[in-house]
Amino acid sequence: MIAQLIEGPLWYFSLTVFVLGVLWRLFMILRAGAKKDLAVPRDGGGAGALRAIFSRFVPERTVRRHGKVQLIAGYMFHLGLFALLFLARPHVDFFAERITGIGWWSMPHWAFIVAAEVAFAGLIMLWLYRLLNPVTRLLSSADDYVGTVLVFLVMLSGCLALAQSVEALRLIHLLLAELLLIYFPFSSLMHAFTFAFSRGYTGATMGRKGIRA
Amino acid sequence: MLINHRRVLQFPALLFLILIAFPVFAENAPSSYKPVTVPNPATDLWRAVNPQQLPPAEAAMFPGGDSQVQGVQSGVLINQLGQRWRHFRMGQLLPTGSYLLAGAMLAILLFYLIRGKVLIRDGESDKKIERYSIYERLIHWFMAIVFLFLGFSGLILLFGRSLLLPWMGPELFSALASAAKEGHNLFGPLFLLALVLVFLKFVIRNIYQKGDLTWLLKGGGIIGKQDVPSNFFNMGEKTLFWLLIIVGGLIAISGVVLLFPVFGQGRDIMELSHVVHGIAAVVMLSVIIGHIYIGTIGMQGATEGMTSGYCDLNWAKDHHSWWAQRCIDEGKVMPKQQGAAVHHDNPAPAEAEK
Repeated sequence: MIAQLIEGPLWYFSLTVFVLGVLWRLFMILRAGAKKDLAVPRDGGGAGALRAIFSRFVPERTVRRHGKVQLIAGYMFHLGLFALLFLARPHVDFFAERITGIGWWSMPHWAFIVAAEVAFAGLIMLWLYRLLNPVTRLLSSADDYVGTVLVFLVMLSGCLALAQSVEALRLIHLLLAELLLIYFPFSSLMHAFTFAFSRGYTGATMGRKGIRA
Repeated sequence: MLINHRRVLQFPALLFLILIAFPVFAENAPSSYKPVTVPNPATDLWRAVNPQQLPPAEAAMFPGGDSQVQGVQSGVLINQLGQRWRHFRMGQLLPTGSYLLAGAMLAILLFYLIRGKVLIRDGESDKKIERYSIYERLIHWFMAIVFLFLGFSGLILLFGRSLLLPWMGPELFSALASAAKEGHNLFGPLFLLALVLVFLKFVIRNIYQKGDLTWLLKGGGIIGKQDVPSNFFNMGEKTLFWLLIIVGGLIAISGVVLLFPVFGQGRDIMELSHVVHGIAAVVMLSVIIGHIYIGTIGMQGATEGMTSGYCDLNWAKDHHSWWAQRCIDEGKVMPKQQGAAVHHDNPAPAEAEK
């Protein structure tokens, strides 16, 4: 009964909430628009936006010097999570069966384990940094902690179900993933999509002013 | 003429029984024939796959069979040392380990009941000293999280069958055991990473110095009420550090041997690794129980250093008086009301070693 609920209606409900929620949030951001710039632009905004979107992947020297932990742990977590989410064999099979209809290349098992190790190390370190640094602790809200805990639990439950011998463990992982999908659009986890808008907006604004931001 | 059908059927049946019984009579009867030894192929097969059935000299004649599977000891069907390892695990490791862990907890309880919480002699002051940077606290807690996860999952794997299975039932326990195994294997390499980070960061301050032995002989000021000076780390903390590095290193290396059977290690090495892993883990858990006690409920003001990064001046005077005096001399003492400075690392860790 519970298994059927998790596999069926709850999965479709969470996916719907996720897709519609993300689209709605992005639509609201675009609808907010930008204040009209009356000055004569010195350069194109598009080029500035593109430059900012990609150049921000390489942090400034001061950030590299003073934020090594966040930088290294941040990359470890995000790259590891990306690999786990899109290149792990069970996920590729799941996407092919439930969403895309086609599969793609997946990592060998050892790479899966390495990706999981890297992602876990990165997430735990980022979480600890948020808690231990008085500034980030002050800036953090309950939403940040809920998002972190949910992502951690989804990753953990997935790895605990790795043997694929116990159906209950797989269902717990799926249930947690569904909760994450429902929570995602209404949380700071939206930065997975909004980072491009944020960087693009800043880059375009600066680009029109002739500043290489 | 009437034929008695019953008698007709009885005759062959009687003949059949006599024929069957004949070898038995023949065996018991004295005979001049020499017995013919017919080798049983099944017996030879059993001896070949299980050489421990033979005396050592003959066992050497069966080094292992041939197999198309290419791998370490792939020609050995039955491991000679397996039973010995299993007996050790079930008969010695489990009971001894449980006694050790229970003993450690009992000893701490008794210590708490007799000694009570170690309080700051003059009470908390209104001044503080920076003790650990963010990075130092981060790697400490990273190791703590990983160690606790590995500890709990390892205890489930070690004692779960005896303690949890009867209580939980096979279905729930199999799920828990499967999860614990996967989690334990996954977090294992993270412990090795944490160990390396902790070693690199704290090793200099944990080299034994003059005065450490005196600290130990005087019970570290915890046993008794006398003032025992020490440096940034006292003898107890330094010993914990080296135990963590050596015993923790044994746990990590034996874990890697168990987790990655791709370095040419055979089952004998794996079993030895398992024994080392189990013993070292139980020892380390017992030690860490004491560390957790003294770092939390056992001592006033001990947790703050690892949470906020600052310790109370009077606490530092009580437990690390030489280091506290240096901080006072160097003007590193600050009022508690002052906001926490964000140091990404210890500004001058080398100075603290002096």
